[in-house]
Parts: sequence; C-alpha cells; structure tokens
Amino acid sequence: MGGITLLRDILLIYGLFAIYYVMTVNVLYFSVLAFSFRNIMTVFRRSAYSKFNTLSGSELVPAVSLLVPAYNEEVTVIENVKCLLTLNYPNYEVIVINDGSKDDTLGVLVKEFGLEKIPNPEMRNAIDCQAITGVYHNPQYPHLYVIDKPNGGKADSLNAGINLSHYPLISSIDADSLLEKDALIRMARQYMENPEETVAIGGDVRIANGCLIENGQVKDFSLPNKMWPMFQAIEYLKAFLGGRIGWSSINGLIIVSGAFGLFRKDYVIAVGGYRGGYPGEDMNIIIKLHRYMLENKLKYRIAFCPEAVCWTQAPDTYHILSNQRKRWGRGNLKNMIENYDMAFNPRYKVMGLLTMPYNIIFEALNPYFKLTGLVALAGYVALDMTQWKILLVFGLINFLSGYLFSIGALLLEELAFKRFTKISDLLKMLFYGAFKFFGYSQLGTLWRIQGHIQYLQNNNSWGAMTRQSWKEEKSEAPSSAA
Amino acid sequence: MFQHVTVAIYFVYACLGLIGLGIAILFYMKLKYLATLKKTEQYRLKHQDYFRFIQSHLHEDSDLPVPPGKLTALERRVIQDKFAEWIEQFKGEIRNRVVELCDKAGFVKDELEQLDSLFFGRRVEAAYRLGNMRAAEAVPRLLQMLRKQSYSPLTIILGRAIAKSAKQEEQLKEMLELMLRHGKPIHNLVADVLLETDLDSSKLLLKLLEDGNTDFVKVALVAMWGQAVPEVIPALDRLVGAEEKDVRAEAVKLYLSSNPVLKDETIKQLMSDNNWEIRAAIAKSLGSLHAAGSIPLLRNAMRDENWWVRNNSAESLAKLGETGFEILCETALRGSGVERETALYHIEKVMNEGTDHDAVDQMVSFNKKRLLYDRYFGVAERKPVRQVAAVGGDYSA
Amino acid sequence: MPNSATLQRGIQENLYQHIEEWVKGTKHDVCGVIFLYTENGPANLDAQVRGILEAQPDLSFEVWTDDENNTLAVILPGRTLDAVHFEGLLLKQRLQDIKADLDPRITLASFPEQGEATEAVMKQMAESARRSLSGDIHIFTREEAKTARSSILIVDNDPTIREFLQIRFKMQGYETYEANDGLTALNLIEKMKPDLVLTELNLYGIDGLPYIHHIQKLNVNKSPKIVVLTEQKVEQTISQCFQSGVEDYITKPFSPVELDARIRRCFN
Repeated sequence: MGGITLLRDILLIYGLFAIYYVMTVNVLYFSVLAFSFRNIMTVFRRSAYSKFNTLSGSELVPAVSLLVPAYNEEVTVIENVKCLLTLNYPNYEVIVINDGSKDDTLGVLVKEFGLEKIPNPEMRNAIDCQAITGVYHNPQYPHLYVIDKPNGGKADSLNAGINLSHYPLISSIDADSLLEKDALIRMARQYMENPEETVAIGGDVRIANGCLIENGQVKDFSLPNKMWPMFQAIEYLKAFLGGRIGWSSINGLIIVSGAFGLFRKDYVIAVGGYRGGYPGEDMNIIIKLHRYMLENKLKYRIAFCPEAVCWTQAPDTYHILSNQRKRWGRGNLKNMIENYDMAFNPRYKVMGLLTMPYNIIFEALNPYFKLTGLVALAGYVALDMTQWKILLVFGLINFLSGYLFSIGALLLEELAFKRFTKISDLLKMLFYGAFKFFGYSQLGTLWRIQGHIQYLQNNNSWGAMTRQSWKEEKSEAPSSAA
Repeated sequence: MFQHVTVAIYFVYACLGLIGLGIAILFYMKLKYLATLKKTEQYRLKHQDYFRFIQSHLHEDSDLPVPPGKLTALERRVIQDKFAEWIEQFKGEIRNRVVELCDKAGFVKDELEQLDSLFFGRRVEAAYRLGNMRAAEAVPRLLQMLRKQSYSPLTIILGRAIAKSAKQEEQLKEMLELMLRHGKPIHNLVADVLLETDLDSSKLLLKLLEDGNTDFVKVALVAMWGQAVPEVIPALDRLVGAEEKDVRAEAVKLYLSSNPVLKDETIKQLMSDNNWEIRAAIAKSLGSLHAAGSIPLLRNAMRDENWWVRNNSAESLAKLGETGFEILCETALRGSGVERETALYHIEKVMNEGTDHDAVDQMVSFNKKRLLYDRYFGVAERKPVRQVAAVGGDYSA
Repeated sequence: MPNSATLQRGIQENLYQHIEEWVKGTKHDVCGVIFLYTENGPANLDAQVRGILEAQPDLSFEVWTDDENNTLAVILPGRTLDAVHFEGLLLKQRLQDIKADLDPRITLASFPEQGEATEAVMKQMAESARRSLSGDIHIFTREEAKTARSSILIVDNDPTIREFLQIRFKMQGYETYEANDGLTALNLIEKMKPDLVLTELNLYGIDGLPYIHHIQKLNVNKSPKIVVLTEQKVEQTISQCFQSGVEDYITKPFSPVELDARIRRCFN
C-alpha cells in the first residue's frame, strides 16, 4: 500500500511539474506575442503610409541577386521564373540553379527563354561547392541566368548561386514560391532604413491553396478548402505574425524562411555560406550569422518584414506533410545540438540568454515533457479516480492557451493587414484554430519526435515530393470557392 | 499540493476570459471594416462623374468647383484619396491645380485639425495625408513631430511628408538634419526623400556639397548620381581628396561619370587607391578615356584581389583597340589564375559580339581582333575555347 | 386626335432645327447644350429638371422635350464647357436623389468650342445620349464626327492613370484602348492594331525589356510606336529601351501637357 501511495505522489508531482511547464511555455509564448503587439502598429504604419513609387525605379536602391535552387521542378519552374522576372524592382537578377534534376527542368528553361551556354562563365570562388557544368543566358532576358550542376542539395545550390551572383545582396527563394510584385522592394526599403546593421531580413510566407492565381498574381484570396492546408494556414499565421514579429523586435530571430529571405552577401560568405547535407540550413545560416556578429562584436540586426509576402503551396496529403515535419524535426535538433554552447551564455546577448534556451527547452524538448506529463497524470488518475479533474485541467491549459495564441495572431492580422475579407474566412479560422487540438497538434508532436529519432538514427532521406502546377490550382479554385 | 492545481484553474479561467474578449474584438473590427469598405465603394461610384469632370477640365484655366452636395467625413476622405493619387502621378501646372483644389475643398484644414488628435496613429496619418497634398502650412508642425520622433520607420514617413510640402530651403535642411542626427547611414534613403521636393534640387544639392557636415555632402553626392551636372566638377575636385572613405568613393564615381580629362598622375593615384570601389571606377572609365598610359596600368590591375577591379580592367582593355585586345590574349595564354579567367571571359564576349556590327569601322576593328585571336589561340575553325572555372585550385588571397 | 399627332410630329421635326436656331441666335459668345435621355423616366421629368435648374442662382436656361424619344434638351446660353459639364453632373445627381433608380444618359457640349452647332450635330448628340453604353457623362467633341482617328493603346496596372489618360486622349480625338497587364496588351496589339502603345514597364504577366521585344516581334504589318511611361529611372534600363527601338521614354511623375506634346511629335 505504501508503495502505491509513493508512486501516486511521484506521478502527481511530475504531473504538476508538467502543468507548470506548460503554463511557463505559454507565458513565454504570450510574452513574444506581446512584443509582436507592441510592434504591430509600426508595421502597419510603415506599410500604409509610405509609398515606394519613387524607390521602385531608383538607382539608389541596392541591387539584389535572387537565388532559386530547383530540383525536379519542370512542371512549375517556367511560371515561377516568369513571375520572378516581373518583380517591381529597379535592378536585380534571377539565378536559377538546376541541382542535377532527373527531369527536364533545364531543358524546359532553355527552350522557353532561348538560353545558350556561356563559354567562360565567371564564377567567383567565394564558397566551396560542387563544380558546375555550365551557365546559361540569353541577352534578350538580360537578368536571367541558369546554372547547371550535379546534384548537391539545396545548400550547395545556394552556394553555387552566391558564387555567380554580381550584386551585394542575395535573396534565397524556393522554386515554388510566388512572390508578390512588391515584396522585394518592401524588403529592400526596410534594409535601406538601416543598411549597415541589417544582415538578414525574413519575409512572410502564406498559404496559397485555394487562392485564384493568374499571371503570377494572387487575384482572389481565399482560405484553403482541404483540411491539411487549412491547419497549416493557421499555424503559419501564428508562427509568422505572432512569433517572428516579436522575436525580431528584440533581435532574437532564430530563423528566416528559406522560401523568401534577403541577406548581405558579404556576411554570408564570411560565415562560410550555407551548410549542406542536412535539412535546416535556413535556421543554421541565421544562427551562424548571429554567432559571427556577436563574436566579432559588430552591431547588427536580423529583421522580419511581414508586409513582404511570398505565397506557397502547402502540402495537402498526410504523407508529404509528415515527411516535411519530420525533416524539420531532424534539422532543428541538429541545429540545437551543434549550437547548444550559445545557451545561457551572456556573450551571445538575446540570442544566448533568450532565444537558444527557449528553443532548446521549450521547442525541441516540448513534446517529451508534454507526453511524459500526460502519461504521469493519466497514471495518477488511474490510481485515484476521484482526481480525474486534473487531467481535464491539463488538457484545458494546453488547448485554451494555444487557442488564445491563435486569437492573438488573428488580431494582429486584422490590425495590420486585413487580408481576409470574408466573415466566413474568419469563422473558418476560428473553427480550425480550435479543431487543431483534437488531432493535428498531437500529430505535430509525433512527427517532431519521429524527426528526432531519424536524426539519432542518421536517417537523412528527403522523402517524396510531388509538384502541382499553379495552373491546376487555378482550375480547382473557382469550383472550390463555390 | 493542490493550490498548484488552483493556479492552473485560474490560468484556465483567465484564458477563457481573454478568448471571449478576443473573439468579440475580432468580430467588431472585421464587421466595422467591411462596412467601411462597402461605403467607400459606394461613395467612389457616386462621385465617379465628378472625378471624370475634373479630369476632363484640368487643363483649362478656369477655376474648378469643389465636390457638390453635403458630404460625410468618409466621403471627403474618399475624394481626398482620389485627388492625392493624381497629385502623386502628375507634375507641373496640372498638379498645382489639384493641390489648389484640395485646399479649396477644405481637405487641408481637415487634416491640420487631426494633427492635434490625442491618438498617435491619427496624427501620423494626418501628417502623411498633408504630405500627399503638398500642404506648405503644415511643415512647421511636421518638423516638430520629426524632432520628437526617435528613429523608426515613421522618421522616414514624416521626412517624406516634409520634403513633399516644404516651400523653403531651410525647412529641407532642417529635415535633413533631423533625419540624419540619429547616426544611421541612411543616405540613400534620405537622398530619395530629398528628391521628392518641388524646389530646385540641383541648386540645393550644390549648396549641400559645400556644407561642412559630411552627412549632407554624402546625401548630395548620392542624390546627384545619374544627374551629373557640369557645375559640380569644381566641388568634386575638392572632395576627391577628402578624408572620409565613402565620401571619396562617391565623389570619384560621380566625377568619372562625367567623362573628364584626367592627368596621368591622377590616374596612377586613383588606380592604387586603398578603396576597391575607386579602383574599380577608374578602371571602368579608362575604357572610354583612351589615355596613353592606361594599358600597362590595366594590365597590372588584372591581378587585383578584388573581382570588380579585374572585371572592369579587362572590359576596358577590350575597348582599347587591338593593343588592348592583344594584352588580353597574352594574359589569357601566358598568365595564370584569376587574371587568366577574367581575360578569357572577356575575350569570348568580344568574339561573340563579333557578328553584330553594322558600321564599317567596327567591322574592320573586329576583324583585326579576330586575326589576333587566331594568332594566339591558333585554331583554324571558329570554335571558341571552352573552359569552365575550376573549383578550388590556384586561388591565392 | 390624328391632328394632334401630326402637330406633335411637326414640332418634333422642327425641334432640332429650333435648337440649332436658338443656339446660333443667342446673344452670348458661347452656348451650352445638354441632352438627357432616360429609359424609364417619369412623365414630369422636364418639370423636375426645370425645378433643379431654377434653384441655381444666375442660370438662364431653356428646356425642350422630345417625348417620342424620351430625350430632354437643355440649352444654357453663356456657359462654357466646364460649367455645362458641372450642370450636367449636378442634374444627374439631383435626379438620382429624387428617384434612385433613374439612370439618365447625358451627352453635352458647348458651342462654338466643340464646333458648329448644326442640326445634324444636334441630332447626333441626342443619338449618342440614347446609344450610350455606360452611365458616364459623355462630352461630345468635334473630332467625333471625323472617322479617321489615330488609336492609342494605354497599358498600365494602375486604373487611375488609365482613366485619366483615356479621358484626355479621347478629348483630343484619339481612339483609345486599355490593357492592364502585359499579356492582354500583346493580345490587343494583335487584334486592334493601334498606332501607338503607351505603356508602363512594370506589369503582370510579362514586363520590361522582354515585353518590348515581344511587341516588336508580333505579327502585324506595321509595328506600333512604343512610348514608355514608367517609374523606372535606372539609366541602364532607359538606354536598353532606346536601343530596342522605343520612340520615347517618360518617367513618372509626368506632366500631362508634356506627354501630349511628345505623343503628338510621335505621330508627325
């Protein structure tokens, strides 16, 4: 009997610890959210009260090299490149890097734009990368270059692109990102507000499933109809508006999305370019930049520009989504393990004292605490049925605080951007925000754990990825909007 | 033990309360916004005729009437926005007439009142709108706001509003001072803001060049890029010897863009400057200067550590006739490492452009180059030498 | 009853002649004419119009009705075109205040600004009010009678600019087409074969230099002249455009007066 009481008490204590853990995590989330709220009106005003019509055609704006790594993208690459060639920006170039695609990505590009191989392309060797096979160009499209190289991964392709690029700023773009026409000039404007200090700027990524897309433009915004993209829509809103605005305002941003980010080329070269061979290179380059600037005692800023929007197609099947999340889990864990020395180290200021500990304790280890906490409480209740309420309380604090965070993110969206114009969209968001907790969040936890296991097993497969054409979405959208 | 659970329960209740509040606010904001949107569209349609009327008669001399009828505040905003769009897009007499019309319709007065609002957001909005309407009477107030503002995106917004509306040079100078006092290197942005002014910019920029404040000088240099004015040259001469690195670089670039005649001494000095930007700029302009001593200097510069300097040198050599081209071929054949690559690239470029010549003298010069090419690379067919840059290898420093 | 019908028709036939006489005979230098057509107007429309006009201070006017065609003619002696336009829009607004679903079509002009006030012109004006497709007030220009007009294609993503340019060019007698992105522009050039294309460089679909090249490669007998009206001020872009054969390059913000002069120069 004594043994059981002892066990019961231990389970209770651990369960209470888990409850406090969850409450602490959520208080931290809300602090970040509070920072976002503090900053949101400035974001709104910068977006609403400044035109960029003088900047978008001016020589005074720094030139940018857009780097677009492409692997097996023959279906969508033409549309995307065409969209990238029509950005509202005075001086920029588009460098597509064909990463040894097995399909006809290169052929499709060469045919569409009439490209010819440059005989002696000038590649600076700033960063080591796989030797390229050739560079293609057509003077009729003076700002487009295509690099062909054997397969080496996304990071390797970006490094090759950096070697060719001619301009002081680079922007890494996913092959399936649809940039808004003004996205780049808005980012550049934010850069120009602080040119010496700004080292990197992240863009806002939004889900395009369900939108009507025509001519490289999101003509009609609409929330996705399928369940998986819908969950992701609310997730991205929470992460980008709720999280990143706040973190960037205290200079503790740990990641700039690989789908759309702007960097100072010289600093990227100084930290050795992108780390290849493993997912998570987008978080990795940011951590490296923080480290470099802090170790060299340089004044710097890594910012987030929520008004620069890039649309992307979210995975809409369980299989593809789970593979993506497992990849992210693997990458995150590797980044944490490689950089744990920054945690609680005052030399690294906000990054060391806040961001890294937060990410290690409250992001990477989160699933384990929650899971074990749940198990402990379940066990406790099993031993003492009268205390069932505690389990309910545990569930509720998880659910309600997460939901409150979603509401916060929706409020931020409403204050600054107002992109959802239908009441039905708002209702849908509110519903899915709640519905998430009955399955999707748990799956997220599971995928993260699986990602960690994959890391520990040294399993580094990329998983399946199927590409859908933007045009397919268009023919779907009108009927699904009905 | 169980007080911990009570803490958790309070947490739950707090969350529930905030969620309820949040949802209520969300719906309120959304519904209000949708209603405003609908009304705005209605008003725009209602005044469509008036807008077409104004657009049809802007070019005439007669006085334009204000919008007819009694208007709600939102209506006035809608009309004001439309006028602001025209002011933004047009220049000259026509724009002045729209500005006058804004004043006559009382929009300027509306926004001036808003400058005293208790809400910071409304004040900023009023400042923005006054700037759009080029309201000169608002500038002193705007300068006040700029003075109180710590550095943030709003600094730029206010600065721009002032630049658009100011009718006196001192006001512009004050704006520059206030924007630059935070010590941020935003000269490009400030130059862009400054150029929005209606006042005579070239006169103002010349004055700024003479100013003791290096920030002002930098802004003026940057703003003049692309507008190289002959009167500028004497001032630039002085700046080329300036201490501040950026000022010198900008001044040199601007100076060279006007294609001046340079002394050999100056050329040598600039080519061995510490700043790569200056070396690159002078290397580039040597291509069009046709100065006698350039070729050996350019040959040396092809071994420079900076890519842009090497690139510009090779480009200039290619433009300097057969002698320059011969040096390129020699470098390609007998040189090594970076200079060889750069030389090869530019040789190929010249060869590929070969087929596009119309003028006879260009054809003649190209043929001479082709002969040189064949002599050096000794290939009978016109197959260009294909080489791809090696990875790693002989790249020292 | 047949008598009154004949009597009515008699007045009808003479109506436009009367209007012409009245306009020509006025002692003022200028005279404005407004034709107002409504499909479902009330019977006392002319009384309402009279009421509205009477409420205006210092306004002398005459109202004639063409009951058969539901058209109303308002003569405003001593009024220049802009005053007449303003009266027209005032009328339209007040009438819509009274009866919301009234949809009056208005064509107006001032003579001799818009040319000679002949009976034929009066009839044409009335006809144009009846045939008008949009609810916008239509200003009758002297060039409308002529048939051989130069055509301009206006390409810009911004509807404000398109609207302004279209109004302006129409008043100068050009025929205008509009496109809001690169691909539509290319289609319209092939279909409508405009004489001149006034285009922005920053468009959706296809833009910039590739777009200019595409225009020139299109399958039309005579490639249209291209005038670029854009925010882009980068020197390299400007020189590349001129190298590609663009006629003229105007940066925004632009002076409409200067634009007119340059366009006219292109046509000569």
